[in-house]
Amino acid sequence: MPRRRDDYEDDDVEQDEEEEYDAVDEEDEEADDYDDGGKTKRKRTRSDFIDDYAEEDDEEEEDDDEEYGGGGRGGKRHRKAASEFFDEEAAVDSDEEEEEEEGEDDFIDTGADIPDEDDRRIHHRPLLPREDEQEDVEEMERRIQERYAKSLNVEYDEEATDVEQQALLPSVRDPKLWMVKCAIGREREVAVCLMQKFIDRGPELQIRSAIALDHLKNYIYIEADKEAHVREAVKGMRNIYPTKIMLVPIKEMTDVLSVESKAIDISRDTWVRMKIGTYKGDLAKVVDVDNVRQRATVKLIPRIDLQALANKLEGREVQKKKAFTPPARFMNIDEARELHIRVERRRDPATGDYYEKIEGMMFKDGFLYKNVSLKSLSTQNVQPTFDELEKFRQPGETGDGDMSSLSTLFANRKKGHFMKGDRVIVVKGDLRNLKGWVEKVEEDTVHIKPNEKGLPKTLAISDKELCKYFEPGNHVKVVSGATEGATGMVVSVEGHVVNIVSDTTKELLRVFADNVVESSEVTSGVTRIGDYELHDLVLLDDNSFGVIIRVESEAFQVLKGVPERPDVALVRLREIKYKIDKKIFAKDRYKNTLSAKDVVKILEGPCRGKQGPVEHIYKGILFIYDRHHLEHAGFICVKSESCMMVGGSRANGDRNGNALTSRFAHLRTPPRVPQSPMRSARGGSMNFGGRHGGRSGGGRGHDSLIGASVKIRLGHYKGCKGRVVDVKGSMVRVELESQMKVVAVDRSYISDNVNVSTPFRETSRYGMGSETPMHPSRTPLHPYMTPMRDSGVTPALDGMRTPMRDRAWNPYTPMSPPRDNWEDGNPGSWGTSPQYQPSSPRSRAYEAPTPGSGWTSTPSGNYNDAGTPRDSGSAYANAPSPYLPSTPGGQPPMTPSSAYLPGTPGGQPMTPGSGGLDMMSPVVGSDNEGPWFLPDILVNVRRSGEDSSLGVIREVLPDGSCKVALGSSGNGEMVTALPSEIEIVAPRKAEKIKIMGGAHRGATGKLIGIDGTDGIVKVDDTLDVKILDMVILAKLVQT
Amino acid sequence: MFFHIVLERNMQLHPRHFGRDLRDKLVAKLMKDVEGTCSGRHGFIVAITGIESVGKGLIRDGTGFVTFPVKYQCVVFRPFKGEILEAVVTMVNKMGFFAEAGPVQIFVSNHLIPDDMEFQSGDIPNYTTSDGSVKIQKDSEVRLKIIGTRVDATEIFCIGTIKDDFLGVISDPGATS
Repeated sequence: MPRRRDDYEDDDVEQDEEEEYDAVDEEDEEADDYDDGGKTKRKRTRSDFIDDYAEEDDEEEEDDDEEYGGGGRGGKRHRKAASEFFDEEAAVDSDEEEEEEEGEDDFIDTGADIPDEDDRRIHHRPLLPREDEQEDVEEMERRIQERYAKSLNVEYDEEATDVEQQALLPSVRDPKLWMVKCAIGREREVAVCLMQKFIDRGPELQIRSAIALDHLKNYIYIEADKEAHVREAVKGMRNIYPTKIMLVPIKEMTDVLSVESKAIDISRDTWVRMKIGTYKGDLAKVVDVDNVRQRATVKLIPRIDLQALANKLEGREVQKKKAFTPPARFMNIDEARELHIRVERRRDPATGDYYEKIEGMMFKDGFLYKNVSLKSLSTQNVQPTFDELEKFRQPGETGDGDMSSLSTLFANRKKGHFMKGDRVIVVKGDLRNLKGWVEKVEEDTVHIKPNEKGLPKTLAISDKELCKYFEPGNHVKVVSGATEGATGMVVSVEGHVVNIVSDTTKELLRVFADNVVESSEVTSGVTRIGDYELHDLVLLDDNSFGVIIRVESEAFQVLKGVPERPDVALVRLREIKYKIDKKIFAKDRYKNTLSAKDVVKILEGPCRGKQGPVEHIYKGILFIYDRHHLEHAGFICVKSESCMMVGGSRANGDRNGNALTSRFAHLRTPPRVPQSPMRSARGGSMNFGGRHGGRSGGGRGHDSLIGASVKIRLGHYKGCKGRVVDVKGSMVRVELESQMKVVAVDRSYISDNVNVSTPFRETSRYGMGSETPMHPSRTPLHPYMTPMRDSGVTPALDGMRTPMRDRAWNPYTPMSPPRDNWEDGNPGSWGTSPQYQPSSPRSRAYEAPTPGSGWTSTPSGNYNDAGTPRDSGSAYANAPSPYLPSTPGGQPPMTPSSAYLPGTPGGQPMTPGSGGLDMMSPVVGSDNEGPWFLPDILVNVRRSGEDSSLGVIREVLPDGSCKVALGSSGNGEMVTALPSEIEIVAPRKAEKIKIMGGAHRGATGKLIGIDGTDGIVKVDDTLDVKILDMVILAKLVQT
Repeated sequence: MFFHIVLERNMQLHPRHFGRDLRDKLVAKLMKDVEGTCSGRHGFIVAITGIESVGKGLIRDGTGFVTFPVKYQCVVFRPFKGEILEAVVTMVNKMGFFAEAGPVQIFVSNHLIPDDMEFQSGDIPNYTTSDGSVKIQKDSEVRLKIIGTRVDATEIFCIGTIKDDFLGVISDPGATS
């Protein structure tokens, strides 16, 4: 630049005039640029502008000569130049490299490549017949070298130093830019008027320049030293409103005149989109660019209605305006011929390729080749989708499609696409297929550390030539595109496309390497839209329902509730009515009540043999999640009748809504009790914990939650179970069972009515201790907490109900039975079981956060009746007392004690007639699922590692385990099974049954009907018809 | 790969187990807790082979539970990238097939199955070479190479390939049966 500055140093007034033009009219400025660029172009320039600027032309020529001769011009010019040319140069500099690469076949072949002339030269060159210059070439070359040999160095040096460029920036001493409002659309006009005025009035107009910017409406800029000068200049002019003249801050002055560099120049094989017309939005591939005429030939998939075309050609009536756009499909020439459309076959003179010509449209290989204006193409953010690219590749085009698409994809890359450490591969140039790691990223160049030996440590490579590289087995995350957010493992890499196996769906995804980053995280991508989340059960518009098995960018995949065959529908958000969130129950084939989370086995249908927990129940349809089922995200939809419950029900607590079942819900406490220590405490401590909670009431508030087993029902950890370790405000810290970590979740995210809620023991114990007047009683109490789990306890029930009662009670009298008893669960320990019973309602206590109310609301209240007579029992008298103090909130001591009393089966004999007790008794007796087994009933023996098998209980051993004869009629081998391994087989209608609970325990009868959860039983002995819960009925096998 | 290593774990023991056979209870519980689990670092714990040491128990306030630091020797199974494994095919579909090597599930994508093997749908979906000599179907035993692993809290999932020398079916259930 200094050169130019020098040149202008002695600028004269005339030149000033010309400069106004420069400022006002870009073209003129261009002309100047050419002049700067080299003498050779001066003529050209002139020829371009000679008509417009006839007046000035001579001067200009002179000036130019002077200029090149090293003559100086005025300071004004230089100041302006400072801002103007600086920007110009800055904008263009970056292109320099490319230009050099292109290897311009310019006649200036040495050093004369001036950075700021590229585009325009291209535009203008063809206008100039070369022959004219031909003879001059040598002469010119010499001259140019003379001139530039020196200055070139200076120029490049200058580029290298920022400081000098800084010097070119406007300072306080330079004229200011003023922003003046004008009529919209008249910006240019106003600027030209000002120019004219300047020509007419000459130096008395004290403004330096006027600038109208295309992108700025309603304003023009005027360069002047003072605001008054601006006012003076615009006085009396139309379309300009000098009421508001704003000063442009010095800092922003350069921005005003910066030239936005066009980022992407359209070149061959670029992917573009059409902006207008029938093909609006369609992807197109550039096959040829004519920069001069600003046109390009693009390749499109035609959207032509051949029939309409044929009609038109034959002069028939054509519909004026078609409401629809014909679908894009490849042109079939034969089809066209059939419709008698004239097809010409022509050779393109330029490329030598043959085209089919129909009605002025050129086709090749089914594609339409269309000549369009560059303006009608959009090159920004083209992002061709995978499908579109596939389509383009269709007829015959092979691998190269992939490569060509790269250029556009690269152009659309976001800034900071590459990061240090990324593994990359070179896809273009000499170093093609070189792999390496990104070391450093600069603007457009990436420094990579090559993977090969014998190469320099780092190589600088243009980011356009690089592509991310993945190896099979890498774990990656998709960061953009349709599958954004999904993670998976790379199974193969095909050029620029990587195939990924999704972690969650185990599906194959095809994505561009550019859209993928390496990551160790595991996600399924988006998991929710609106209120609906992955794996939710939803009701759809047409009243069908289904489980969301996949969330896509705008729609859900829903596995519909059709049990016959898997039916997956793509559903948009608005098609979903609502989420089904109810707790619904269903019956399995054997009339067991199923609730969510129960594990079932599918007995029939296409998915026979699969097994998994029930995730949702609706209208008798179960959605089962089988981890090993790969389709539909592991979900299987089956009728509840075609399933069999495996193991026990897990979600006892959930069933409370159902009054009938709830009463007996705990009868079937799942035999598989988790083994974690916290859980093991669950048996008894619940009881106490509940009480504790009741007593301290609101005071301790959330504390009751601490230690409770909860399930997280929302958010990232949805479905996880864990134990609450801490409560802080609305956040709860939960120690997850499945992962060894503690996570904080919102309180509202957890459901704490999981049947296994476990309050901490500690309180309960203290509570007990302090309140118990009878110390000895404490000892036995403790063991009670566990027997729930310890099946050893079971057989006792028998004893209790029957003459054994005495015995049962005996151990109690001494108050502190030997510890071993408890451990072994000998019958003695059973005596105490009554104490124990209260734990039956415990689960309820849990569900209702205030256990106090829990007690009353549950059947235990009824026990009071049973309890009352009890009080007189001498042995008993001792027993209740320890508990009395623990009465929640001043309720009659009965309430808590009742909790104990009911347990005493002995109570029943005392009030044999009472119907109320009848109903109660099963609850009472059977809290531990074990005790209610009786001989001669058909059971399912399920042992770990084996399939379940039918068997008949032959004998109930004192420790609770049973001798079971395998086989449905009991003639197989005899095994001993723990109660936890035994499940009762529910009887069907008209089958002989044995009543296993209640006043009629042990009685046999016939099931004459089933009503919901109740069975109608005709008792053999009395011939009475009783309505009993199905749960206490077992199929009798007579020997 | 299998390793025999020593791991440590803090075991919480319920007070009711305190007694003569505390140690046995502890070991039994350890086995129950640990065997079959999976950790990202060590892989699947296949079996406990011995107890190195049981540290001093610490009684937890309030709960009465006692925490013992237990050092135990165990056999762990950890699949590695590049490892060659023999596995049993459990499922075949058009995307590839799943195989299991003990507790590890391995997916072999159809991209990683030799190109001459084609997917044949039908009653028993399988991959068969064009001449029908080699067939991969459910219960086939294959030798494969692991090219990627993903370790969760509870499972290890691998991606394998049979597109390499000496990989592929090693026994054909169709032939034997």
